[in-house]
Amino acid sequence: MAYTSYVYLTLFLGITFLLYTIFPKKYKWVVLLSMSYLYYIAASRLWLIIFILMTTMSVYFGAIWLEKINDLFQSVKKVLDREQKKVFKEKLIWQKKMVVGLMLFVNLGTLAVLKYYNFFADVLNITLFHHIHKSLPFLKLFLPLGISFYTLQAISYVIDVYRGKYKADHCLARVALYLSFFPTIVEGPIARYDQVAHQLYEGHSFHYENLTHGAQLIVWGMFKKIVIADRANMLVNHVFDDYIQFSGLSVVIAIVFYTIQLYTEFSGCMDIVRGSAQIFSIHLPENFKQPFFSKSINEFWTRWHMTLGAWLRDYVFYSVSLSNPFKKFNHYVREHCGEYFTKLLPATTALLFVWLCNGLWHGASIKYVMYGMYYYIIMVIGMFMEPIFLRITKFLHIKKETKYFQLFQIVRTVIIVNIGMLIFRADTLTAAWQMFISCFHNFSLDFSVIGNLGLDIYDIYVIIIGVIIVFVVGLLRERGIHIRESVAKWNIVFRWAFYLAGVFSVIIFGAYGYGYDLVSFIYAQF
Amino acid sequence: MEELLDILSGLKPGVDFKNEKNLIEDHILDSLDVMNLTVELNDEFDIEITPLDILPENFQSVDAMYALITRLQDEG
Repeated sequence: MAYTSYVYLTLFLGITFLLYTIFPKKYKWVVLLSMSYLYYIAASRLWLIIFILMTTMSVYFGAIWLEKINDLFQSVKKVLDREQKKVFKEKLIWQKKMVVGLMLFVNLGTLAVLKYYNFFADVLNITLFHHIHKSLPFLKLFLPLGISFYTLQAISYVIDVYRGKYKADHCLARVALYLSFFPTIVEGPIARYDQVAHQLYEGHSFHYENLTHGAQLIVWGMFKKIVIADRANMLVNHVFDDYIQFSGLSVVIAIVFYTIQLYTEFSGCMDIVRGSAQIFSIHLPENFKQPFFSKSINEFWTRWHMTLGAWLRDYVFYSVSLSNPFKKFNHYVREHCGEYFTKLLPATTALLFVWLCNGLWHGASIKYVMYGMYYYIIMVIGMFMEPIFLRITKFLHIKKETKYFQLFQIVRTVIIVNIGMLIFRADTLTAAWQMFISCFHNFSLDFSVIGNLGLDIYDIYVIIIGVIIVFVVGLLRERGIHIRESVAKWNIVFRWAFYLAGVFSVIIFGAYGYGYDLVSFIYAQF
Repeated sequence: MEELLDILSGLKPGVDFKNEKNLIEDHILDSLDVMNLTVELNDEFDIEITPLDILPENFQSVDAMYALITRLQDEG
């Protein structure tokens, strides 16, 4: 049951909203939890529910266990002297680490086996077992719906309790709802327990503004997904599936269209997800903040898939960089290397873990690992070369504050991101490399090739107009203007004319029906 | 406070740390700077900054950082 299907938008969301509105405030969570599990079963297989239940139960009891250890320390610390307190604290920290380790083993272990077993079996067969003429068998494994998303949420919950950020939740229903809420289960956002769990559990009365704003967000997401992304998908598939036949310009257009497709699809899905939640007066975190206005790759990743970036920062980057072995490494670098390396070596080493995790999270293949490494290498080069770049800009008298220089930085970032998208979309690394080379090999500015890329010129115009609309909306948001709030202040006639124009543009220009393929969400496979 | 200002100036020369109140929000310090800063603060002030302490509000200004250091020193 895709979020763009009429079954979801009218029937499922409609019935859930109706039940949520008529149920007493105290029991509204029952509607959300039951419908979340119903959605899970309808969109997946019944027996795969075991995995989400196992994750829920494990982190629920694990967090309570951690809290009991925290409470034990609080209750006895007053009667202990400083030295005893230190010894006792160390003992309890060790116990807490064991509990968190067990939680990570159970949940990451499940994810690792189901998602990565065949990948690692392949790697081991090629590298290790090849020499002894043995091989690990490949298994036909099912990947439970949303496992990459709910596992990260579960881990963030248990680590936050371990760190003492908040207390364990003794309400199983609230933890279950946090991990299974139907709008977020397929593609996120990867929300934090303290951001959403209480919002989900406490009942919200009918709120007209949230209903209309949520519905508008859904329509906007639908526009991005089925008017732009699904249309661009046809061109992208046509070229990527047989790239050898196409000229350099055709390949460049296909790469740019894939970037457009992935952005409008993923951010469109997030709009549908956030809109679905908002009609129940639940506010989910944003996942995109106009990423193509970024002036650097670092900035891009703070605006693109923001909840994944924040998760990796909080639970991988800081966990690694503040761990004891890393502290020792840091001291070693300080003692043996100069100031330049002291600043950069520990940071870039910690970042390696982040980008390895980022690549692997996207998929179990060497292609995704290289996708992560591509960004890692660019960031590391940028960090090590910074003094040289500063000297060059000083020598050339370039003022960084000028609009021209900032435009140059934005264009540079967009080009780097497009190359990253090529790695992400190409079937193999070899294909990505060949396509990259072919961009330069057979390149001429002969725009007549556009007619041979698997899309009518009418469809190309629709995509271009759609992208211009998305760009203008992004530009307005960059300047602090929010369309929904602004439109809400309009006269009723203009306001409803605008809303209906939005709905009809999706119905009329949506890429569905004869001649168009039904396109699944790309991030749903992760 | 002077010691803290010296560390910050060494980390990011040219920034007016005395008056800047939005170091994180204005992207003057990023997560890599915070990591390097954390290691230096741990060593210089004999404290242990944990991931839980790494919140934007604790690194937004020199006063916020000083308050964090004082709190962690008191907690021992």
